[in-house]
Amino acid sequence: MHEERPPTAARHASPGTAPRRSNQSELEFRALLDAAVDAIIVIDHKGRIEQFSLSAERIFGYTTAEVIGQNVDVLMPEPYRAEHDAYMQRYQHTGEARIIGVGREVQARRKDGSVFPCELAVGKVQGVEPPRFIGFIHDITPRKLADERLRRSESELRLAQELANLGNYVVHLDQSEPAYYSPQLCRILGIEAVAEALPLTTQLERWVHPGDREKVDEALSELDSPGNAFDCEYRIVLEDGTTRYLHHIAQVTRDAQGNRLKHIGTIHDVSDRRATEDEARQLQERLTHFSRLSTMGEMAAGLAHEINQPLTAIATYAQACQRFMRSPDRDDADVLEALVQINAQALRAGEVIRRLRNFVKNREVKREPVDCNRLLDDLRTLAETDARLHNVRLRIDAEPSLPTVYADPIQLQQVVLNLVRNAIDAMADAPETGREVLLSTRQLPEGEIEIIVADHGSGLAPEAAEHLFNPFFTTKSAGTGLGLAISRSIVRAHGGRLWHTPNEGTGARFHFTLPASPVTLASKGE
Amino acid sequence: MIKEIKPTVFVVDDDTAVRDSLRMLLKSVGLPVEVFESGQEFLDADRDDRPGCLVLDIRMPGMSGLELQVKLNERHSILPIIFITGHGDVPMAVEAMQAGAVDFIQKPFRDQDLLDRINQALEKDAGSRRMLAERNMIRKRLESLTPREKEVLDLVVAGKANKVIAGDLNLSQRTVEIHRARVMEKMEAHSLAHLVRMVLEVERTEE
Repeated sequence: MHEERPPTAARHASPGTAPRRSNQSELEFRALLDAAVDAIIVIDHKGRIEQFSLSAERIFGYTTAEVIGQNVDVLMPEPYRAEHDAYMQRYQHTGEARIIGVGREVQARRKDGSVFPCELAVGKVQGVEPPRFIGFIHDITPRKLADERLRRSESELRLAQELANLGNYVVHLDQSEPAYYSPQLCRILGIEAVAEALPLTTQLERWVHPGDREKVDEALSELDSPGNAFDCEYRIVLEDGTTRYLHHIAQVTRDAQGNRLKHIGTIHDVSDRRATEDEARQLQERLTHFSRLSTMGEMAAGLAHEINQPLTAIATYAQACQRFMRSPDRDDADVLEALVQINAQALRAGEVIRRLRNFVKNREVKREPVDCNRLLDDLRTLAETDARLHNVRLRIDAEPSLPTVYADPIQLQQVVLNLVRNAIDAMADAPETGREVLLSTRQLPEGEIEIIVADHGSGLAPEAAEHLFNPFFTTKSAGTGLGLAISRSIVRAHGGRLWHTPNEGTGARFHFTLPASPVTLASKGE
Repeated sequence: MIKEIKPTVFVVDDDTAVRDSLRMLLKSVGLPVEVFESGQEFLDADRDDRPGCLVLDIRMPGMSGLELQVKLNERHSILPIIFITGHGDVPMAVEAMQAGAVDFIQKPFRDQDLLDRINQALEKDAGSRRMLAERNMIRKRLESLTPREKEVLDLVVAGKANKVIAGDLNLSQRTVEIHRARVMEKMEAHSLAHLVRMVLEVERTEE
């Protein structure tokens, strides 16, 4: 704000240099000067300041008294100052006024020495001699600052987008303005620019990986209902054949009547992250699969035995059948019974092979609702194979009506089988009649499902217990040392825990938990 | 009398199908058969002194075939055992043979192979039982001798002539001849050689 000033007339230029003018027009001119927002300065032909407006005082920080009679170049920094002197000299020699005109952008200097940008317009006062000039100075510091800020934020945004591999776009659905696509967006999509005529989503849709099309279509339908956003991670295949993973978030804005106005979105190129994740996952899957294969390798003798049993029964039934048929006083009921059994035993052998193949098959990890009791039942064939071979009794104590868990059933079987095999191995030196593995399930008060594998072996030595879950730690001559490490990582990936406690009496108990899935299957009577 | 009971094939196998198929095979050849799903069940049934043979699965949870064999030996059972083994069970089969099993057969097997082994086992069992019965009979006959007759018998078996025996026992030769005749009669001996064989048979098993 202006500070209180003495009457305007008191600050007039000295009478010697002031033009002759009527008092009234003098006052009017002064009022004009003081009302102007821009600084107004009048100088004579030698560049001496004659008039200095109120706004000039404000902008330059000088009082009128300080500058009247001074060369106007005090208001200029170098190199303008030198240039100005040259102009004035040229003017005095040639009578040619150079800077007259509008809208030159120059630098000016305040009393405190600081420099600021301004727009300068200079006019020559007509009809007076020697000539005078009137200068209008518009301080453009705020505009410059705003410009600078805008430019900086634009370049920062651009840099941020580049660093984050993130692009954005705005499409005006009412065609009121051209669509905007950020440079990084174009870079992500591997194109020079998005063809304006084609809406981006139409272009993207062409590139969507066939495997993700359904997912994208489903997510896009969200955009049709007001207030919903499109949020989808999908793959696109670019013109050059490369595949990229995009995380695409979009929204449609609407006016009060619900008409669609703008389609706004960001596209994040998450290919690098996904590639790393994919690689890690594939490695983990290969390791898990390898561990399953090696488990089966260790169980080969037991599996051979398990398939040999039905084969022995089939051969024996068939031989009995032949003898029945040759006997003159045969009973057809015996033959029929043998045939029924042959059929059943062939299916039994097939079932062992089917479970084995299921278990070792290299497959995609797939989570689904799993009934743990049913899982143990399915596992029984494989687990008993090993148990029989080592004269171990396998007992299952299942709590009925357990909630289901959301899990990959084969991986869970792998964990249980691994624990059962360890339990069996732990009892190699135990008396034969005491060799029992108890598999039990129960629901914990917190809603988790707990599966326990208990043995009556010699228990865990403290030094073994310490390294138990370390990869490649094994107490077995033929073990890989991966079983428990992988089991624990599988359980953790399912949101559960795996630990061990001493068993009552002798031996060890291995526990693991899994969170119950919200949907509980009705328990099915077996 | 033991001889009146028909020999039976006892099968102990925890696998229902294998057990049942064996039952049916043995039925098809007209052999009496009894099946058990565990060693304990067989022990509880007290069949181990019956004539017949035992077809025994070497691998079973809980009491294994080998453990049952040990228990039967402790009970002085003479039941011949044929072990059924799987692949790679040779070390266990060797152990079983050392503990007195008559034979073993690998799964899956040809029916004739098994039946041949069963027949051999049944013959062996019948032979053992005959021998046992004979030994018991000889023992009974020995027990029927008077102390003086027993003294005469020992010297006869030792190969001494009547005259020498008379001198040793301070008896008349005539008296020795009478005792000797009574011994031959009580022991139902056809000849001196037969008498000696019977006595040696009993003495050998009593060592």
